[in-house]
This record gives sequence, C-alpha cells and structure tokens, in this order.
Amino acid sequence: MEAKIFDRETILDLVVNFIPLGIILFFIGAFAVFAPWGFEPMASGLMFAIMVVMFLALAVLTYLSAKAIAGDEKRATVYAQGQAGLEGAEPIHGHDDAADTSAATDAEVDDTESTSE
Amino acid sequence: MEETPGLSDQYRKASPWPLFIALGVPISELGLLFDIFPVAVGGLLLFCGCVVGMLQEAGYIRMPWSGLAVSAGLLFLAGGGVLYINPQVGVDMTLRAYAILASGLILAMGAGAGRLFVPKSQFPA
Amino acid sequence: MDISAQISLTVLMGVFLVAVATWLTRVENWRSYSPVGGGAIVDRSGYVEEEKPAGIIRWLTTVDHKDIGILYGLYGITAFVVGGLMVTAMRIDLVTSESLLGTATYNGLLTSHGITMLFLFGTPIIAAFANYLIPLIIGADDMAFPRINAIAFWLLPPAALLIWAGFFAKPLGLFGPAQTAWTMYTPLSTGAAGGSADMVGGAGVDMMLLGLHLSGVATTIGAINFIATIFTQRGEKVTWANLDIFSWTVLTQSGLILFAFPLLGSALVMLLADRNFGTTFFLSDGGNMLWQHLFWFFGHPEVYVLVLPMMGIVSYVLPRFAGRQLFGFKFVVYSTLAIGVLSFGVWAHHMFATGMDPRLRTSFMAVSMAIAIPSAVKTFNWITTLWNGRIRLTTPMLFCIGFVSNFIIGGVTGVFLASIPVDLVLHDTYYVVGHFHYVVMGAIAFAGFAGIYYWFPLVTGRMYQASLGKAHFWLTMIGTNITFFAMILLGYGGMPRRYATYLPQFASLHQLATLGALIIFVGQLIWFWNMVSSWFEGKRVESADPWNLADDGVNTIEWQWFGTKLDTQLATDGGEADEVATDGGQVDADDASADADADPETNTE
Repeated sequence: MEAKIFDRETILDLVVNFIPLGIILFFIGAFAVFAPWGFEPMASGLMFAIMVVMFLALAVLTYLSAKAIAGDEKRATVYAQGQAGLEGAEPIHGHDDAADTSAATDAEVDDTESTSE
Repeated sequence: MEETPGLSDQYRKASPWPLFIALGVPISELGLLFDIFPVAVGGLLLFCGCVVGMLQEAGYIRMPWSGLAVSAGLLFLAGGGVLYINPQVGVDMTLRAYAILASGLILAMGAGAGRLFVPKSQFPA
Repeated sequence: MDISAQISLTVLMGVFLVAVATWLTRVENWRSYSPVGGGAIVDRSGYVEEEKPAGIIRWLTTVDHKDIGILYGLYGITAFVVGGLMVTAMRIDLVTSESLLGTATYNGLLTSHGITMLFLFGTPIIAAFANYLIPLIIGADDMAFPRINAIAFWLLPPAALLIWAGFFAKPLGLFGPAQTAWTMYTPLSTGAAGGSADMVGGAGVDMMLLGLHLSGVATTIGAINFIATIFTQRGEKVTWANLDIFSWTVLTQSGLILFAFPLLGSALVMLLADRNFGTTFFLSDGGNMLWQHLFWFFGHPEVYVLVLPMMGIVSYVLPRFAGRQLFGFKFVVYSTLAIGVLSFGVWAHHMFATGMDPRLRTSFMAVSMAIAIPSAVKTFNWITTLWNGRIRLTTPMLFCIGFVSNFIIGGVTGVFLASIPVDLVLHDTYYVVGHFHYVVMGAIAFAGFAGIYYWFPLVTGRMYQASLGKAHFWLTMIGTNITFFAMILLGYGGMPRRYATYLPQFASLHQLATLGALIIFVGQLIWFWNMVSSWFEGKRVESADPWNLADDGVNTIEWQWFGTKLDTQLATDGGEADEVATDGGQVDADDASADADADPETNTE
C-alpha cells in the first residue's frame, strides 16, 4: 500500500519540500564542520535542536499529507480545485500540470504505478 | 406570547447568546483588571449565564441549573486561587478575589432557587 | 474609587444585566415549551423552516456562516479605513523633518496603525472570505460550530474599542493611546512596574493589551472552527486530493493560529500581570529577551497567518482569468504546509541584533533561508499559470498580478534580511518597513482586493463599476510602489524606523513616500465609493457565471450555489426584492419566510 501511494508522481510532487529539507540538512552539516564560535553544549545543542526539530517536523508533515492526498487520489475521482460537486465538471487525475496531456482514465493511474515499481 | 416559540426554535440560523457571551468576556476582564467590583461581577454573571443558556439551547443540557452550579464551582475555584496567591505578589488582589467569589455565590443561589422553585415541566424533555 | 461611584456603577450594571435578561427572555421565550400553549408543536414545526429573523435582530443573532462572513468583512473594512486614516495622518506628519502632530500622537498612531492593520483588518478580512466561502466550496451546510463562530466574531468589536480606547479617552483628559509600538517590547511596555513610569500610555496600554488578548481569543476559536469544519464537514466528493487551495491555506493558517495565538495570549496576560498584579515575569534578568522570544514565537507565524490565505485567494482567483487550472496545484499545497511548519523555526531572525548567542542565530538563519523556497515555488507556479494562458485583465486579475509583482519585491528584500550580516546593517531601518509593507500592503491587501472584487457579485448580486475598479488598481499599485520603494531606499541611507522626526538629508525621500501614500489614499477613496454605490445601486447580475468562467472550463462550485440562489429568487420574489434591497438592506426576511422550503440560502448543492 505504502509503496503504491509513494509512486513516481507523488515523489515528484514532494520534491518541492525536499528542497527546504535539503537546505536545512546542508546547514546542519555545514555548522557541524565549520564552527567558528566553537562548541558549547547549551548553545550548540539549541542550534542543532532547532534545525533538527524543523527538519523532522517538516518531514513528518510532508509524509502525512502526501499519504492523505495521494491516498485519496487513488481512492476517489480527482477534480480540479473548486470543481468537486460541480455539475458537468470533468474529472482529472494526477496533478494539474499533467492534466493537459493525460486523459482521465484509471488505466493511466495503473500505468504509472506499474512503471514506478 | 405563551404560544410563540423562542427565537432559536423559530429560526434555524439565529441564536441570541453569542453576542452576550462575547460581551461578558471584556466586561469581566475590564472589571477584574482595573479592580472595579460591580463591573467584574456583572461581566462574570453575563458570561457564565449566557454560556449556560447557549448550552441549553444547543441541547447539551436540559435545564440550566446544573450548568449554573458548575460555573459557580469554577468561579469558587478561581476566586480561591486568587486568594491563595494574593500574599505572594506585590499588589493587593483581595477585592478581585471577592468579586469572583461573589459572582459564584450569586450563580449558586440562582441554581439553587431555580432547582427548588421552577417546575421541571417548563423545559422540554 | 469612592463609594457613590461604586454604588452608581453597581446600579448601572444591575440595570444592564436585567435589561439583557429581559430581552433574552423575550426573544428566547423560555415559557414557549410549556404544555399550556396547546398548538405549540404544530406552530413550531411551521416556524423552524425559517432561517432568521428580520431587521437588526437578524444581524445581532445570526449564526449563519454567510451572514457572519459579511459581518467580518464590514468589520475588517472599517478597521482598514481607521488604520488607513491613521497612517495617512502619519505620512502627512512626515512631510517635514519636524513632527507636526507631536511625537506622542505620532507614536500612538504608529502603535495603533500596526495593531489595527494586523489584528483588526488582516485577520478578520481573511475570516470574512473563509466564513463565507469555505462551507460553500467544500460542500458543508455551515461551519462545524455555528454559535462559536458568532462568539468569535462578536469578541472583535469590543477588542477594537479597547485597542483604540486611548484615542477616545484622550479628549476627555483620562489617558492617552498606547505608544509601545505593536511589538510592545519590555521594559518600555512594563510601565511603572518597570521604571518607564508610563510615559507610553498608562491605562491606554492596559486597554490595548486587553483588546489584543480578546482579538487573540477570537482568532483562536475561529481557527478551531475552521479546522473542525474542513476536517469533518467536507462533502462526499471533496477528498483531500480535491480540496481547493483556499481551504488548504486556511487549514494551514488555522493550524498556525492554534499554536501561535495562545502563546501571545499567555505573554499578554503575563505582561498585564507585571503591570498590574505585581508579578515579575519580564522584570528580572533576561526578562526583556524572554518577552522578545515569546512575542516573536507568535509574531513570525502571524506573518504567515496573514499571508497564507491571501496566497490561497490568489491561487484560486488567478487561474480563473488565465483560462486554465493552476499549474502544479500540489506543489502549492505541499509548499503551503512546509511554510506552516517552518514558520515556527524562524522567529529569532527578528532578534539578530539583540546580542544572542551567534551559534543560535545561525540556526535561525538556516531555517529562514529554507522557508524562502516554498514561497518562491508559489511565485513560479503563478507565473507559469499565466504562461500561454488566455489572460483577461479584469480588476481581480489585475490585483492578482499586482500581488505577484509586489510579493516578489517584498519576498526578495526579506531573503536579504534573513542573512545575519545584512540584517545587522539594515536592522530597525526603513528597509525593514519597506520590506514588510511590500508584503502586507502590496501583497496581502492586494489579494484581499482581488477577493473582494471577484466575489462581489456572489455576495451582493450586483456588479461593481469596472472603470472605477481599474482606477483603484492603478492608483494603488503606483502609490504602493512609490511609497515602499522610497522606504527601502531610506533604509539603505540609514533612516531608523518609528521616528516622528528625521535628519534633513532624508527629506526628499520621505516626501516621495508621502506622495505615494496620498496616491494610495485617493485610490482607496475611489474603491470605497465604488463598493458602497455598487452594493446599493450596481447593475444586477443576471447570469450565474458573471465572469464567463465556463467558457474556459474553470468555473467553480460557489458560483453554482449562486446560480441556484438566483434561480429561486427570480422564480419567487420577482422584482419585489429589488426595491426593498435598494432601500437599505432589510430585505427578504418576509419574502423568504413565504417560501421557506425553496429558500436558496439553505441549499448548498
């Protein structure tokens, strides 16, 4: 189930949050290597704690929201924003930038899933 | 008059309580902060009474009396708390504590009187 | 206080309480349940169909999300007018290097302008959009807790009166307005307890703190309501994958409020206790740093509390007039959530100049750099949505594009401030003022205008005057850029913020900024006239799709609700509601009751 939710499409969507995660990770590494003010348990501990807590919190929230969004995408029909429940609205699937090229069929969802594995 | 239903049964999307709950908060806060006894008591009565009224309207409680008694209990706790910390701070807060206790007392008396004297048939089952 | 005053106050309070109780008894009519009223059951089932009472009682007792949304909107606009007039006075004061109004008045205006715009305009105007639209868009009947919703609104008018109390009390010779600036830094704000002997407003500061606390409570319970609504009241088809971007941003915003505002409330209570109850939270060693940490742990998320839903409005409205769906919808959703989390790890970048441990500073710099990415991603998404779109430059679209443009300047100047060495040079200069005004005026207010114009037909059933809307946009856009770009230059020159006077070398740039502010002022006059006159006498909207969105397939569900409303109105009241409405708003309570079953306002489908 997990593997199916986190297919290539979803991972691509999540890249947007991998970048800030990467930046924080970079600074954690940089400050671990270069410490111009030396190491002192209290101050340095707080310094790393702030970055690590932010990293973990963002990672966890990204994981949970991706699970909710991508999970619902697999379970139910996907509409453009504000069009769920609208009469005569045509469902799309996947994310919007792919919507122009892909027709909304379940077969395609299966395709992307199988290629990603 | 007797036959007309109350506002919140008559209209689905109206309730008279929120406005007065919202008024009760600043009135009691002002009274307690600036140490004005009657304003503090009045604000607390307004706030607690209207919260209980809204609970009853929403159907969480059938009769207001137990709600009033609970809010009186909370006020007694708060007033007692203020009396307890009073010696530890640099400003005399006795009157503020008494204001909280007094409003608790009035609510408790109201709850008791209501339970004793108002027939249950006044309220829908 | 002497005895006679106490007694008269007691009598006054008693009379007030009895009046309230009497009124409540009359409107609630507790006796209605008594079995004496034989036909009551039948009557009641007949009455329950009705929505709300008529006249002023309707507005005082409403728990309907649309009515509360309108109330929030009127409240926010009133605060915007007050805050705008305050800043116009301040800008005129700054025409000369000497203060015309006097420094005390200037400081009071400065404090109230900031607090009014952030807490009394920014947050409520977002709540206005969210209250009115989110239940319609996600297919909910109403908010999850309608009465709580009404409480949250009604806490705000007393909050405003308390925050402005000093201005009303000063002419009476009682006390002046607070002069603490919106950050309320200690020891300046601790008053007599802290040794500043209340040069900054005395009781006015206490009143403002109370009002601020009240508005914080209101915002928090509103946020809880939105979270509950979006989690539990969504329609069947509205899955997480279908949830629109505006609801996503409001959900994230509500999460931020839930963690940030209770902290502000606690800090304010601690400050009040220091000032009045003899505690020493902020008086002992490190108390000043403690206040700044507490304040900014709330204060920085507050920035995102204001900007996220406005980004949501732009992400929702901009694609409508670009003729295509939002590019990378899920990028915007995930980056919104990322901003929500990271905003709690950046607060000390407001405190780089306080002399805190340099190691600690670097971690806040790191997270501040990271949070720039999700905002930038959104900007690229908006620009890419415009790319090759069928762009129609309606007034809401102009404001959306203005938002993107100003947000880029506001955002990029912010990235520089996130860097410690640059911040140490520019800290507390007009550069900072220019930066955040590009965001709050250039972006947040612009998105608000976009939303107001876009949904004006939905709420009022009438169309605004397009040419006046365009004039409003161009005046606001030009004025904003003149004013705040001049401020950025002033900051580079070293002009410190918050001062009522300045050195002669800054005169020309200050005068330029004032010119820009006056241009904005004229623009808002046009806007205000446009809104008022169009609400009462604008051309009636006859189509359910006044923006012709269906042509591009970008129509959305709230307009379908509007169509249902229009249809039922036409079918039932005909022209009659028309005349009543122009007279002053006390409309259709009677008309609606005649055909309660078909009342469009209950029908969200």
